Amino acid sequence: MSISVSKRGFFAEPGRGGKRPLLTISELSAYYGQLRALYDIGFQVMPGEVLAVIGANGAGKSTLLKSIVGMMNRGKTAHITGTIDMRGRRLERLNTEKIVDAGVTMVPEGRRLFPRLTVEENLMTGAYLARCRVKAPEKLEEIYDMFPRLGERRAQIVNQMSGGEQQMVAIGRALMSDPQVVLFDELSLGLAPSIVDDIYVKVEQINQAGVTCIVIEQDMKRALAVSNHVLVLLEGAVVLEGDPRELDVDQVTSAYFGSEIGRASA
Amino acid sequence: MTPEEFNTELYWSLIDIANGLLTGSVIGGYYAMISIGLAMTFGVMRLVNLAHGDFIIVGAYLAVVMLNFLPVSPFFTLIIVVPLMFCLGYVLQRVLINHVSVQAMERKGLSTNYGLMAPILVTFGLGIFISHLLLGIFESDARQLKNSLAFSAIRISEDLNISLLRFIFFVIGVIILIALHLYLNRTHAGRAIRAASDDAEISPLMGINTAHVYGLALGISMAIAGAAGVMIGMIRTFQPFDGPQFLLIAFGAVIIGGLGSIVGSLVGGILLGITQVLAGTYFGPSAQLVGGYMLILFVLAFKPQGLFSR
Repeated sequence: MSISVSKRGFFAEPGRGGKRPLLTISELSAYYGQLRALYDIGFQVMPGEVLAVIGANGAGKSTLLKSIVGMMNRGKTAHITGTIDMRGRRLERLNTEKIVDAGVTMVPEGRRLFPRLTVEENLMTGAYLARCRVKAPEKLEEIYDMFPRLGERRAQIVNQMSGGEQQMVAIGRALMSDPQVVLFDELSLGLAPSIVDDIYVKVEQINQAGVTCIVIEQDMKRALAVSNHVLVLLEGAVVLEGDPRELDVDQVTSAYFGSEIGRASA
Repeated sequence: MTPEEFNTELYWSLIDIANGLLTGSVIGGYYAMISIGLAMTFGVMRLVNLAHGDFIIVGAYLAVVMLNFLPVSPFFTLIIVVPLMFCLGYVLQRVLINHVSVQAMERKGLSTNYGLMAPILVTFGLGIFISHLLLGIFESDARQLKNSLAFSAIRISEDLNISLLRFIFFVIGVIILIALHLYLNRTHAGRAIRAASDDAEISPLMGINTAHVYGLALGISMAIAGAAGVMIGMIRTFQPFDGPQFLLIAFGAVIIGGLGSIVGSLVGGILLGITQVLAGTYFGPSAQLVGGYMLILFVLAFKPQGLFSR
């Protein structure tokens, strides 16, 4: 999972910490029909970091991730404006399958496994791209090393498995495409806290192997604990951004709720 | 009744039943070939392909054209007809049916109801177009693909035999179904077809281009329909407007076996075949079709999801 550095965009402005950003998102707006869900969002994603996106329900977190992987490019039903740049390559007009081929993928909210396929078949669909096929058996073993329980159950149909196991399949399936960036949408949804702890240990492992992670997390404390950089969304706009070690909790809470209410409850 | 008369009576009724089971099964194999394409397009794209029967007839006429240039055994026409039908199916899906699908309607900002209805109307119109096109080119004369095996039979006992040709078709049908099963389970493209069938919205996240995968699905469906057409042309005569009767058989087998199930199509086809032959034996030839439709009605009444649906 190494990150290749292309020469393109070399003179782009340096990002945080003087490093060159992996993803640069600017003036991103998203629309469902006439309804606007994101307002001119701009931020950078540094290689190798964990970026947490937090915000209340309906703040636009999922829409933001869907926009990055091209799932908002649906003609009159949903569309985006603005730019998404990955080391000089523009992603905002590409289809989802092209974006995945470029190295950005997502673990969708609610896992969304293929219910009638087995564990191994689900994982193998992740290696559908031509560039992944040769390495697929090798990659599969890596996933089974990371999640030994999946190895034991490789022939099981996924909709007979527990939520935690399904989440492992969903993560494994995303890793099969050998991504540089993985977006995790609400990993902890519907899972017991102890299982969520295990899952976040795996996210850390994935990150340490060199994969850049963008995480949406409802649990604010957890989000601040796992990330190197945090983005607070409120009503479709970025209201606060920074290093979680430097931000104080009051500041984040009031940004999260967007008012004095947050300050009062904190 | 003397014991001897009773024995003769028993013997003949056993022969009738054995004949019904054997011939019915063998016919069922080719019914499965007729229906598998319909089951596949429905299973993968929720496409109710009303032109399916006409595609089968197109396969038979392609063989007629080929045999005009090359007087070989009709079996050899499969080498050209099957790949040609695959390409036609792929192109048809990508240039026509993908543009009226649920996803296409969504992109245009229209209700998904249009996406459910439009493909049915489009394939209905396509069926009419194809049959009239065939009429224009080949006229309404009944055709047949002449072959040396048409009147051969496999003799099982003195009073029991089955058509050699139908047996060969049964074997080819089973081989095609096994090959299709392996393709869908063991290859990247096959898994992509099943993934898109389970969740078309998420499969692009695997790098799967659903438009391409749907093209493959209709291509495979039409390739098998073409093979079935060649076989039908060897057994009986056909005319440009014969498509709908095969569509009905296909619907029957798919309803009995369960929508979108490969094994279901085979078993559904066999059950339909056996019922038809037995009904014909006991109640006369006119009861054949009625018997088949009675079975379909019973399945719809008591297990509308089909006997093998998951």
